Amino acid sequence: MSKFMPFAGTMLKNLFSKPVTTSYPEKPAAYPERSRGHIEIDIDQCIMCGLCSRNCPPRAITVDRAAGAWTINRFDCVQCGYCTEVCPKKCLTILPGYQTPGAEKKEAVYHKPVEEKATAPAGGKPVPNLEQCVFCTLCAKKCPQEAIVVDRGEKKWELTAEKCVGCGLCASNCPKKCITMK
Amino acid sequence: MADTGCELISVTTGELLMKVMEMKSENYRLMQAHAVSIENGYELSYTFGKDYEWVSLRLVIDENEEVPSITNIYQAAFLYENEMAELFGVKIRMISLDYQDKLYRIDDTTPMKRL
Amino acid sequence: MASKKSVVPFGPQHPVLPEPIHLDLVLDDERVVEAIPSIGFVHRGLESLVKKKDFKEMQYVVERTCGICSFMHGMTYCETIEHMMDVEVPARGRYLRTIWCEMSRLHSHMLWLGLLADAFGFESLFYQCWRMREQILDMFEASTGGRVIFSVNAPGGVLKDMPSDMLHAFVEKLDGFEKELHKIADIFLNDYTVLTRLKGVGILTPEEAHELGAAGPMLRASGIARDTRKLGYAAYGDLDFDIITSDDCDSFARCDVRIREMYQSIQLIKQAVDKIPQGDIAVPVKGNPDGEYFMRVEQPRGEAIYYAKGNGSKFLERIRIRTPTFANIPALLKTLKGCQLSDVPLLILTIDPCISCTER
Repeated sequence: MSKFMPFAGTMLKNLFSKPVTTSYPEKPAAYPERSRGHIEIDIDQCIMCGLCSRNCPPRAITVDRAAGAWTINRFDCVQCGYCTEVCPKKCLTILPGYQTPGAEKKEAVYHKPVEEKATAPAGGKPVPNLEQCVFCTLCAKKCPQEAIVVDRGEKKWELTAEKCVGCGLCASNCPKKCITMK
Repeated sequence: MADTGCELISVTTGELLMKVMEMKSENYRLMQAHAVSIENGYELSYTFGKDYEWVSLRLVIDENEEVPSITNIYQAAFLYENEMAELFGVKIRMISLDYQDKLYRIDDTTPMKRL
Repeated sequence: MASKKSVVPFGPQHPVLPEPIHLDLVLDDERVVEAIPSIGFVHRGLESLVKKKDFKEMQYVVERTCGICSFMHGMTYCETIEHMMDVEVPARGRYLRTIWCEMSRLHSHMLWLGLLADAFGFESLFYQCWRMREQILDMFEASTGGRVIFSVNAPGGVLKDMPSDMLHAFVEKLDGFEKELHKIADIFLNDYTVLTRLKGVGILTPEEAHELGAAGPMLRASGIARDTRKLGYAAYGDLDFDIITSDDCDSFARCDVRIREMYQSIQLIKQAVDKIPQGDIAVPVKGNPDGEYFMRVEQPRGEAIYYAKGNGSKFLERIRIRTPTFANIPALLKTLKGCQLSDVPLLILTIDPCISCTER
């Protein structure tokens, strides 16, 4: 039951039809809306908590709190989008448009406006209402900087102010809603 | 005991070959074998399957204990056993096709062994 | 006169091999007497990364095990973690996973058909297959944002939803794809030159397939009906399908099984689109994995086995990935014994080798 030249039809059709490829780069490539191309940051919203840099699988992001700089090495980034998932402020987005090739790896640095740096961090520091607090330690577990220490036995709630980045994760995760950012 | 997805049967080094022979005679196929580094030793699992049913033989050994190879019973085990020997440093005797630590071309010796 | 045996090294660089595997072929004239494999050129040590990446981050590492079954690796890993932590994924999440799984199968088999055509020297057919595969990749890019690595899995569910207009647009595209597939399948299954290269080459009997632990289309082409999808992970339990097998046991049977599986995948996607419920796509995962779990799924190349062991911290103790190619290598060696040297590239291809996944 074998056939002779069953490909001939397809071949002839291909011969007389337009090529399926496009003439890139004259005609730019069209990316769908969801295409994961590069990470964009809304630096004004960023609170420099550093969660993105610690969770980035290839460690392409560095966050310098003191200098107020958020740096991404776009050549190291693998476009997985995990940083956009973990960002507590949701100020990171992943948009279409790939990094263009280059002769050397370059970093893109975003600076937080200086005037804001002079004041306290965006969200302020967490202050617990110890009368309501049940010492569940959830805030300590959720703290990305490990700045909170809670001792249930001793009924102690301590904050290391230098470590705190004011991300507000403790306040949003508190089951009793007894933490306020001041 | 918590659900592990697969039935586990504990065996000792001495029983291993006999158990594997039993599996073979009951027409089980070898699905996989792997090692896990634990404190001062290894936890080896040999998984066998028949249709959709599967069981694992679990062997816990000391760091320096030698294990007999099952390649004489299940030929297909040579890759799994070489992998165990090379990445974990499990001492396996008489693998039918022994790569002598040259299965993977890596610089480190036994990179996945717990120190 | 006693024949003299010669050894011909095959690979790691060879036009038919997209990935490096080396075989020492012991030849008696043109006939292969024995083949000794050697892998290890692309070992990346993905499994040992568990010590450095927490279990959620590890998903992004695991899905990079393979560039073809990327979605399935990510999904299997997440399902393993979900079982360890007793997390129930919402129905919509499970259905979406199923749809993406079947799309993976489609593009993987299409890729394989192209490579097979390339292996027996049918270049234009190779390009035709890959051109068709592009449609599936475009669907992936539209729905997940990636063409190769999808990053839509997370322990607890999936990260992106597919709106119903997108799903229906996909079904329409698949109808067109199916028509094209009929034309292509006709060539693979009926062309005179293709048949002469495939029929009766590389026989693997059902007994050998079982004993050597072969997996996937390799096993089913030897007449053994075993498909891990029947265990009902993701949403497969709700879908209706038969296991595709062939009794020919040769290279042609492997090609035939894969082509029929593609039609089945299209049917499964359509079924899933019809049945997909509304609702959440993921649930939050709290705490850390503890205990151990064995998990298996049916990847395009066969059955993949995952083993994970946790210790209650956010870093897993061990993750073990047994990819289908690993299981098929012994079966490959068996089929190589006694074949002609000119059939070696073809036979290596019929197991659909994925060496990088094998070595992880």
